[in-house]
Amino acid sequence: MGKKSPEAAGRRRRMMYRALALMLAAVLLLPLVPYAVAYVGGITNPNPGADLWRQVRQRETPPEVRTQVRGVDTGVLINARGESWRQFRMEQLIPWSGWFLGGMLVAIALFYLLRGRIRIDKGRSGILVQRFTVNQRLAHWFMAVVFTILGLTGLVLLYGRFVLIPLLGPEGFSVTAAACKEIHNLFGPIFPLAVLLILFYFVRGNGFRGVDFKWLAKGGGLLGGHASAGHFNMGQKLWFWGTLLFGLSLVVSGLILDFPVFGQGRPVMEWAHFSHGIAAVLFIGGAFAHSYIGTLGMEGALEAMTHGTVDANWAKEHHDLWYAQMEAEGKVGAVPGQEAPASSGSPETAGG
Amino acid sequence: MARMKFLCDAERCIECNGCVTACKNEHEVPWGVNRRRVVTINDGEPGERSMSVACMHCSDAPCAAVCPVDCFYTTEDGVVLHDKDICIGCGYCFYACPFGAPQFPTAGAYGSRGAMDKCTFCGGGPEPDGSAEEFKKYGRNRLSEGRLPLCAEMCSTKALLAGDGDKVSDIFRERVTYRGIGTLAWGWGVAYGKGGVRQSSGLGGKASSTKE
Amino acid sequence: MFLDFVEGPLWYAAAAVFLVGVAWRLAAIARAGLKEDLSVPRTAGAPGAVATVFRRFLPHREFMRPAAFQMVAGYAFHIGLFVLVLFAAPHVEFIEQRILGFGWTPAPHWVFLLAANFAFAGLLLLWLRRMLDPVLRRISTLDDHIGTGLTFVVMFTGCMALFESHDFLRALHMLFVDLLLIYFPFSRLMHAFTFILSRGFTGATMARKGVSA
Repeated sequence: MGKKSPEAAGRRRRMMYRALALMLAAVLLLPLVPYAVAYVGGITNPNPGADLWRQVRQRETPPEVRTQVRGVDTGVLINARGESWRQFRMEQLIPWSGWFLGGMLVAIALFYLLRGRIRIDKGRSGILVQRFTVNQRLAHWFMAVVFTILGLTGLVLLYGRFVLIPLLGPEGFSVTAAACKEIHNLFGPIFPLAVLLILFYFVRGNGFRGVDFKWLAKGGGLLGGHASAGHFNMGQKLWFWGTLLFGLSLVVSGLILDFPVFGQGRPVMEWAHFSHGIAAVLFIGGAFAHSYIGTLGMEGALEAMTHGTVDANWAKEHHDLWYAQMEAEGKVGAVPGQEAPASSGSPETAGG
Repeated sequence: MARMKFLCDAERCIECNGCVTACKNEHEVPWGVNRRRVVTINDGEPGERSMSVACMHCSDAPCAAVCPVDCFYTTEDGVVLHDKDICIGCGYCFYACPFGAPQFPTAGAYGSRGAMDKCTFCGGGPEPDGSAEEFKKYGRNRLSEGRLPLCAEMCSTKALLAGDGDKVSDIFRERVTYRGIGTLAWGWGVAYGKGGVRQSSGLGGKASSTKE
Repeated sequence: MFLDFVEGPLWYAAAAVFLVGVAWRLAAIARAGLKEDLSVPRTAGAPGAVATVFRRFLPHREFMRPAAFQMVAGYAFHIGLFVLVLFAAPHVEFIEQRILGFGWTPAPHWVFLLAANFAFAGLLLLWLRRMLDPVLRRISTLDDHIGTGLTFVVMFTGCMALFESHDFLRALHMLFVDLLLIYFPFSRLMHAFTFILSRGFTGATMARKGVSA
C-alpha cells in the first residue's frame, strides 16, 4: 500500500460519517419497525390491563384459572351471565307471567259472565256411560294433587316478595317461603311419576285426527254450536300433549335445580331456571282453564273424573263420535266399575 | 358517611392466600364456606395475575334484587348485609352475583343447604353489634369496633385495600402514578357502576393508552 | 312458647295416651281370649302362627296380580315411612335426647329424600285409590280418612320444617305428631301392632286344621 493521499483520507472520513449516521438512523428507526408492522399488518400491541380485563370478564376463551378454593365455579372471576339472569327473572319472568296468569283468570271470569255454565242442553238422561277407569282417575288426581302442591309453593316463591311480604312481614314470609321451598324440593321428584302415569293411562285416544281440526275451527263449541269429537276433543288432546311437553321440561330442569350436587355450574342452573319458569307459568295458566272447564264451567264434566261416568246426554253433546262408538259396542248404560260394590244399582252415583 | 369498598390490585397480589386464611380464622367460618378466594389467571405463564375475590358490596346489588325473601340490606356505610333468619337458602343470590360471593354451608341435620353466608365487610349482621349471636351467624363485627376488614389489614403486599372508597382510590391512584403503568382495579366497574372512580381516575378496566 | 308447649306438656301427654292406649288395646284383645279348640290339632299352632306372620308380607300367589298396586304402593309408603321415622337426622336427635338417651347413625340426605318421595307417592296413591275405587270407597270409614290424613299432615309439616331454621314450623310438626299419637290407639292405625295378632291367629287356626295358609 502506498502513502495515503489526503483525498483518500477525506473519503474514508466521509465513509465513517456515513456509517455512523446510518447506524444512528438504524438505532433510532429500528425500534419503530414493530410499530410500523403493527400499523400496516394489524398486530395488536399487548396491553396487560386490557388483556387481564378481557380474561376476567371471560369475553373470549376462558383463561387458565386456578384457585385453592374448591367448589362450583370458584375459578370464575366475574359471572357476566348473572346480570342477564337477573334481568330475565326480575324484568321479564315475574311481571310478564303475572300479567299472563292474571289475564287468564280475568279471561275465565269474563267467559263465565258471558257464556255462563255450559249446561247439558237436553238435561240428564239418567243413563250412565263409563268414561274413565279407576286407574285413569287415579293417575289424574295424583297428578292434580302433586301439581297443585308444586304449583302453589312455586308461585309463593315467585311472587311472594311482592305479594306476601306486605301481608305477612319479612319474618312471617320467611317461614312461609322456607316451608314452600322444602315442600317444592321434596315433592319435585314425585312429579316425574305423575307425568309417567298420565302418559301411560291417557296416551290411548289422544292421537290427532282430522275431526280434531274441524273441532278447532269451530272453536270447540265454546261459544255455542256443536263441534264433533271422539273420546277426547282437540282441547283435551292439546292439554294432554302440553302436559307431557311442559312436564318433561319441568322434570328435567327441576331435577337439575333440585340437586345442585353434581357440580353443575351457574350457566346450567340459569338455563334450567329459564325453562322451568316459562314451562311452569304456561302449565299453570293452562291448568286454570282446564280446572275451570272441568268443574264450574261445564255441567256434568267433573263426575267423569270423580265417579268415572258421564250422563249419556252429556256424552252426545260433547263427545258424539265417542258416544256413537260406545252405543255401537253396547256399552251405554253398562258401568262395570259400579257393579262390583253392590248387586243393586247405585243411585247415588247418578247425581254426580 | 364513608362508602366502604374493596379494591384488589392485580399488579401486587402474590396469591399468598393470607386474606382467605385471615377471613376464615377471624369469622370462624364453617366447613365448605370460603367468603374470600384468590383466583390466579395464566398460572406459571407470562401475564400471570392473581386477584382476591369476595363480596364487593355492590351499589346496585344483584343478590338483593333477586332474593325471593328480600333478606338483604345495605348499611349506611354501603356494606351489603343479609339476615340469616330470613334467608331460605334458595341459592338465587349465587346465580345473580357477578363475583360468586354467596356461599352455602351444608348445614342442618339433614345435610341440606343452609342459610347463605358471605363476606360482611367485617360488619356483622342485624343482631346487636358484638353480640355472641351475631358472631355465631356472621362472624366478627370489626367495623363497629372502628376497624377495617382483616383480609385487607393482613395483606402482605397491600394488594387488597378495604375502606372508604375515596381514600382507597386515592391510594391506588397515587400507586398507579408512581408505577407509571395503568392497570385495572378489577371489578370496580361491575360493582360500583360505570361512572365514578373508574372514569374520573382512569383506573378502570379499559386499557391505558398504548402511546405512553 | 308454642314450641315449648308442643314439645313439653303436650308431648308428654300424647306419649302417655299413646303408650297407655296401645297397652290397653292389646290387653283388651288378649283378655278377649280364644275359643277353646276341642279338636285334635293336626299340626302345632305356634309354628304356623309365626310362619303366617311372615308369609303374609306378600300376597298369595293367586292374588299377586290384582294386589300388585297395593303391594307396590304399600311397601313404598311403609318402608319410606320407617326410614323417615327412624333414620331422619332430627328424629334420631330427638330420640336420643328425649326418649331413649342413645341414638344411631342417621340416614344421609339423599336416602332421606328418596324415602320421603316413596312415602309421599305411596300414601297419596293409596289414599286417592281409597277415594276413587268404588269398592274401597264403600268399605272406607271416616276413621280411615282421619288416620291417613293425619299421617299425611304429619309428613307434610315435617317436610315443611326441613329447613330447620324456624321454630314455628318445628312446633307445627310436633303438634300434629302429638295429635297423631293421641289418635293412634283408638283407630285403625293400631294395625301397626295388631297385624301380628291377626296374622298369628289366622296362622295358628289354619295350622291346627292342617291347612296351608
